Amino acid sequence: MKVPGKTTSQIAIYAAVCIAILLVPLVLDDAFLLNKYARYLVFGMLAVSLSLSWGYAGILNLGQAMTFGLGSYCMAMALKLKTIPVHTGSDGLPDFMVWNNVTELPWFWIPFHSLAFGVAAGILVPVALAALLGWFVFKGRVTGVYAAIITLAAMVVVQLLIIDQQRFTGGFNGITDLAQFEVAGFAFDAYGSSSYYLVAGCLAVTLFLALFITKSKTGLILQAIRDQEDRVRFFGYDVALYKIFVFSVSAGIAGLAGMLYTIVMEFASPTFLGVPLSLSVVIWVAVGGRQSLLGAMLGALVVTGVQGALSESETFLETWTLVMGLLFVLVVLFLPKGLAGAFEKIAARFERTPPGAVAESTAPRSEPIKSGREIEGVS
Amino acid sequence: MEIFVSQIMTGLSIASILMLVALGLAIIYGVTGVINLAHGEFVMLGAYAAWFLQTQFGLSLLVSLVPIFILVALFGWLIEALVIRHLYERPLDTILATWGIGVMAQQAVRLIAGGELRYVEMPPALATSVTIFGASESAYRLFILFLALALFALTWCIYRYTHFGLKLRAIAQNRSIASSFGINSGRIYRFTFAYGAGIAGLAGALVSPLKSVSPEMGTTYVVDAFMVVVLGGVQSLMGTLASSGILGELTGYIAFYSNDTIAKALVLLAIVVLIRFRPQGLFAGRVRT
Repeated sequence: MKVPGKTTSQIAIYAAVCIAILLVPLVLDDAFLLNKYARYLVFGMLAVSLSLSWGYAGILNLGQAMTFGLGSYCMAMALKLKTIPVHTGSDGLPDFMVWNNVTELPWFWIPFHSLAFGVAAGILVPVALAALLGWFVFKGRVTGVYAAIITLAAMVVVQLLIIDQQRFTGGFNGITDLAQFEVAGFAFDAYGSSSYYLVAGCLAVTLFLALFITKSKTGLILQAIRDQEDRVRFFGYDVALYKIFVFSVSAGIAGLAGMLYTIVMEFASPTFLGVPLSLSVVIWVAVGGRQSLLGAMLGALVVTGVQGALSESETFLETWTLVMGLLFVLVVLFLPKGLAGAFEKIAARFERTPPGAVAESTAPRSEPIKSGREIEGVS
Repeated sequence: MEIFVSQIMTGLSIASILMLVALGLAIIYGVTGVINLAHGEFVMLGAYAAWFLQTQFGLSLLVSLVPIFILVALFGWLIEALVIRHLYERPLDTILATWGIGVMAQQAVRLIAGGELRYVEMPPALATSVTIFGASESAYRLFILFLALALFALTWCIYRYTHFGLKLRAIAQNRSIASSFGINSGRIYRFTFAYGAGIAGLAGALVSPLKSVSPEMGTTYVVDAFMVVVLGGVQSLMGTLASSGILGELTGYIAFYSNDTIAKALVLLAIVVLIRFRPQGLFAGRVRT
């Protein structure tokens, strides 16, 4: 099924995009803009995580923000304990706990004194929760629409709990006034190139990790499950196990993105687990192309970029939301594979034309055709 | 006794609104298999239509119910013709498309009517209270209860005893076989969608005097109504009636004794568990495949 030439050119394109992203701070010396772009890159990473589960395994996770928010809270808890509280001094209680008359640090906060624990938890907590939820859903052969609704409901439950337990989580206000993320004495300034490099580096690594998964045998089986679940089951594969695996990996990437978001934004808020953010992720991925990791990432960058540029004015932003909704509906209707799919189609058309015409038509970048396409014709 | 009756009446009042919202959702879902996430926005549009007709033309709420039903039904008709029609083969994408439509409707209303809260006046004739078994109950809430039951009965009769209802049930059971017997399923789907939207619009108009009207008001309803449909079971109108009764009383009870946030979280958890173990609902015998 694998076409080596395609894979090589795909890797080349992915690498080129990653290098371009990593080079941005060399030409841009504006702390505010760097911070903004780092934020967009985090969203790009979140889009990659959803593309992995939705585009490659057919699991539409409407609660992708749940794992993102949990990662963000884990990082915020660790960074919060690094600050010196005004009221209780060093090693004291975080300020919001003092305000809520909590006298002792809750047990689940204590290990977060170690930053390493916080980082590990930021990935492992989302993975564990996703594995549990995945086990619950996929072992029961709940698929499609119902699985989507369950992910959405689960996310809202977690969000409600975080808002409700104000004494331990800061409630609506979230966790604010954080220390800087520090590794071996080197502090990552949210408004400096160091944080940007951190985010861009993590993005590049996850992008290639996700690409590797989709190219592996597991990735092929996942795509087969997406297209014809029953047939894969008849072949003797444990469909639920594969789904739980990709669901958990996706959650881990989203958790990592959440941690980076806390580093860049310098706070964590219950809106990070909200329905609006989850909807946005789905929109980015749908617009960029759910079956292309790079397409999904670029979709996130483009949509959030335009949104950021328009956010200067309230009216613009509201009109933009309207336009975004329309664009989303149109993409769902006419471009189920998003912009990446459209590029593929154009590229495929040029490939079929006689060699003479190809020389003139190098302008549109050809998105490589994924190996999943061949399988898809079956359904 | 008084407290008991008033507690039951509060539950019934919540149940009647729930049923109005859920009825449309259940019909659309039962017949076409589309989970309409824009349903809350149909409710919202109905409420805004009531506000608009009242402030611009001075129409009383009771008079404007019929035009509101027609307006929102037309809107549903359009949505079906423009978008949903193309997606029946891709059920996951209908969720996305209806979600997108919901966002658009919310945003359009926010841009046109403004994001602030709006208020609709209660019909003066019904702004009194009635005493039942010693408990005082708002006449308007009773009116909603009766109207909801009447609408349910009407829908039931259409579903059960008319030619249209027969076709509807045939399609719900098996679309392709029904089509091969000469039933125009596309047209039936569109009618169903419009009818469901119209009822949602009515629900919105009816709750508008009780709650403030805002662009986001629909989202809360769609979650609760979805719970009703899941609990009641696809294709089971009686299930919808029963489950909205159960949920209404339960919500009233929980809100009376406990914390609102936890109650919401519990309801959602119940949805998750219910979908996992009984996706066909508590009251449905057969399953749509």
